[in-house]
Amino acid sequence: MKKLLAGAAIALAALTTQAAADGHANYPDRPVMMVVSYGAGGATDFQARIVTMTAGNEDALGMPIAILNKPGAGGRVGWNWFATQAEADGYTLSAYNVPHFIAQSIKGGVEYSTDSFEPIANWGADPAVFVVSTDSEMNSMADVVAFAKANPGKLTFSGAGLFVGHHIAALQIEKAAGVKMAYIPTKGGGSAAMKAVIAGDVMGGVNNLSDAFRAAAAGNVKILGVADLERSSFLPDVPTMMEQGLDVDNSSVNFRGVMVPKGTPQGVIDKLAETVPAMFANKRVAGKMKAGGSPMHIMNRAEVQAMWAARQETLEALLAGL
Amino acid sequence: MDFIFYFGDVFTFTSIALLLAGTFFGLILGATPGLSPTMAVALAIPFTFKLDPAQGLILLGALYTSTVAGGAVSAILLKIPGAPANIATTLDGHQMAKNGQGARALQLSFLASLVGGVFGILVLIFMVKPLANVALFFGYSHYFWLAILGVTIIGSLGSKSVVKGLLSGCIGLWLATIGFDDILGTQRFIFHPALGGGIHIIAALIGIFAIPQVIEMFAKGRQKVNMEAIEVEKHSISQAASEITRNPRALGIGTAVGTIIGLIPGIGGQIAGLVAYDQSQKFSPDKAKYGTGHPEGLIAAESANNAMVGPSLVPLLTLGIPGSPTAAVLLGGLIIHGIFPGTDLFDNHPEVAWTFINSMLIGQVVMCLFGLYIAGLAARIAQVPQSVMAAIVLGLALFGSYSVQTSMGDVYVMGALGIAMYFLERYGFSAAPLVLGLILGPIAESNFVTGSTIAAAQNGTFIYFFTGWLNFILIGLVVASIAYSAWSEISAKKGATA
Amino acid sequence: MNRLEQIIPTGIIAAVGIWVAWVSYTQQPSEAFLFPRIFSGVFVALSLWTLIEAILGKGAKGSGLSVSMVKNFAPGVIIMVIYLFWAAKFFGFYTATTVTFFILLSLYDPASHNELKSWGKRALITVCFIAVMYGLFAKLLRVYTPREIFF
Repeated sequence: MKKLLAGAAIALAALTTQAAADGHANYPDRPVMMVVSYGAGGATDFQARIVTMTAGNEDALGMPIAILNKPGAGGRVGWNWFATQAEADGYTLSAYNVPHFIAQSIKGGVEYSTDSFEPIANWGADPAVFVVSTDSEMNSMADVVAFAKANPGKLTFSGAGLFVGHHIAALQIEKAAGVKMAYIPTKGGGSAAMKAVIAGDVMGGVNNLSDAFRAAAAGNVKILGVADLERSSFLPDVPTMMEQGLDVDNSSVNFRGVMVPKGTPQGVIDKLAETVPAMFANKRVAGKMKAGGSPMHIMNRAEVQAMWAARQETLEALLAGL
Repeated sequence: MDFIFYFGDVFTFTSIALLLAGTFFGLILGATPGLSPTMAVALAIPFTFKLDPAQGLILLGALYTSTVAGGAVSAILLKIPGAPANIATTLDGHQMAKNGQGARALQLSFLASLVGGVFGILVLIFMVKPLANVALFFGYSHYFWLAILGVTIIGSLGSKSVVKGLLSGCIGLWLATIGFDDILGTQRFIFHPALGGGIHIIAALIGIFAIPQVIEMFAKGRQKVNMEAIEVEKHSISQAASEITRNPRALGIGTAVGTIIGLIPGIGGQIAGLVAYDQSQKFSPDKAKYGTGHPEGLIAAESANNAMVGPSLVPLLTLGIPGSPTAAVLLGGLIIHGIFPGTDLFDNHPEVAWTFINSMLIGQVVMCLFGLYIAGLAARIAQVPQSVMAAIVLGLALFGSYSVQTSMGDVYVMGALGIAMYFLERYGFSAAPLVLGLILGPIAESNFVTGSTIAAAQNGTFIYFFTGWLNFILIGLVVASIAYSAWSEISAKKGATA
Repeated sequence: MNRLEQIIPTGIIAAVGIWVAWVSYTQQPSEAFLFPRIFSGVFVALSLWTLIEAILGKGAKGSGLSVSMVKNFAPGVIIMVIYLFWAAKFFGFYTATTVTFFILLSLYDPASHNELKSWGKRALITVCFIAVMYGLFAKLLRVYTPREIFF
């Protein structure tokens, strides 16, 4: 009897997986989950909730996307879980943050790399900016560099952890200016790093443009420079690092997008790659993102693949000496 | 007094409907094991996309206040704290329910929540500007000392032996370090793949509190039904109301502790209840009654964890700094409408700010009325036979721990911790200090590490951690707390031999 | 109370403490293990203290275990372990919960096991519980639980 039952169970299981394998046409036929490797309320979580809000529409996936937060250790907890435990059936997506996960995989100690994931599309690009509190005497990157030159290793500045975009920007600034400063990684994401700046725990900080834009609007911080190739439309008056004579490119820009685990059926990837960029381009999404001070940058699957490969190369070079 | 002009906005049909719906679902979600206030508020964010800013915040505010209070329901009736805020509620609340006083416990808990909650929001309304900068006083060294201060109450918390209490705390500290190191990203103590994401506090809470209780029910075997079955005492609301007024000390301590702790971002919600419980016990003439179903303990804990709600929003509304995970989600609810909290929120968007705060005030009342209404009914759960109860709690533990992060790893952690905790409890170790270690460990560690990195770039660790008036005050409190524990231990021993 | 009964749990904890301390002091990078190094020293000291107390037969004891208790909870705990660590994932949450719930009721319910009526009552309670769980978690909260072989 038991054998019969077990046999029946296996047969049933085989049947259902068979059906699932052939059933890409119906994908998705139930709600989809998207892992965000940062806490609820953080910039990545907030943007992920906005860009997926129209997923249930008929012209998008036709099924809602539920956000699931797995925060910890600068994103390592969430991506490790996603690379090793998530099922590659297209019902578990994840948000990616480049350069974070690539830098972490180069540094080691995690079980993922660019080969563990398949990009789907990119929704946003959030450059790192250098901030100081409103009452600071430093008013430009030149002041920062001058202070750091006069006091090697004494200029404390915060960022949201090690081997995340903020850290990459910090390394690039130090390298470009040829100075030694004290990078202070904080726990609790960009908002904790920002609080350290506002409260005067540190002398400056690297933070997300979107968060710094709001803090500056509230009169809590001054933004001294943007680590990107061009000025941001949100901050037309703030010069880039390059304009201030620091050779800092866009390697630290925080690209956010959607990916699936390696091994996801090609049919599902194709379907997602086709619908998701269009979903990001929705007018309501764009309106909400703009209101929230979050810069959008939509890229399709091929463009993201190229971007990942380029980042892998530059980061390997940058982190080689560490 | 600006806030009075904006009460009208709360009393529109849509606002009242949202308030009622938010409170109702908040109580249900809060009472569900595994759903913390943060998750409940995050679940509601998509709904607020369709509402205007003030209405969206009414919904979120009602959910926040009522999930905190709703957590008390499962803490009292099932001994499963829905969130860290409700740990202290289990200590006396569940004992009361076991003694057949479930209705009384629930009524007292909701009334204490109302008093604490309203006071906290009044503090928010009248003191929001003067208190704006309190959050900025606390740097890394201060947080470190605050966490150590929390650790010092471990020894006296719900444990008969100070040594075993501290040892339970150490086990908690160790459990907290499992997984990825939060700052450096190093993997620590991962001896099983399920531990890769560390030990999630909510999953741990469910295991540590619910599973030992299930095994305890098993251990009684096939108990003859209703032989010693508990008569659920009827308890009228007016009785409960007069009882609350007769406990001004517990209520006052709870409310004061909750308000003060709530102002310190990042630490408040999780430990307000435990600290208030401990302080109220220290100042009480009937210390020995704590832990046996003493209403004072319940009142202190519940008034504290609701009093913290209002003040915990001060740094968010004035500086744009979210003071707790829930506040971070509320921040998202504001940003999405293009409203950036900061110094100018009350000047530029008074209608949003005050409508939100007012609705939380009214939400407290609605929450209390709902709660009192269901108390009598819910308390009947004590009449459910042990066999059914064990199976229900086990089922809830599985679903609850899984839904925290939809991860089987959390279920395994929950089960393993729970079974281990049952045996530990049989040999004199207790759950509350262990959980406190689990909560405070990461706070102490990350602030110590960040603080010492800053100190290394400045004048050195000693000056950073041991100078400055705030450090002095906090170190003084730590010393006083240790001295008090030692003194009461010694005098208790003298009392025993005399 | 039996002294050995106290020595076993305190001994296990002392062993865990020593293992934690050993890992903290041997693994690299040392900055990541700074905090574990600090508290594991206290951990080891306190656990050895309780172990010595147990060996001497002193200290707070807790209520301990009795043979009848172990006999009573053993089947329940075994079912619980199977349920949490294997069946829930293997069969799907709702199937596993239904079966486990019914088995636990049958094991621990003191009502008659010979009358059809009490079996009917057990089945009814099980169905009600599963219905509530399905409504709460699947419908209201939209948690997608493992469905695997059955549901």
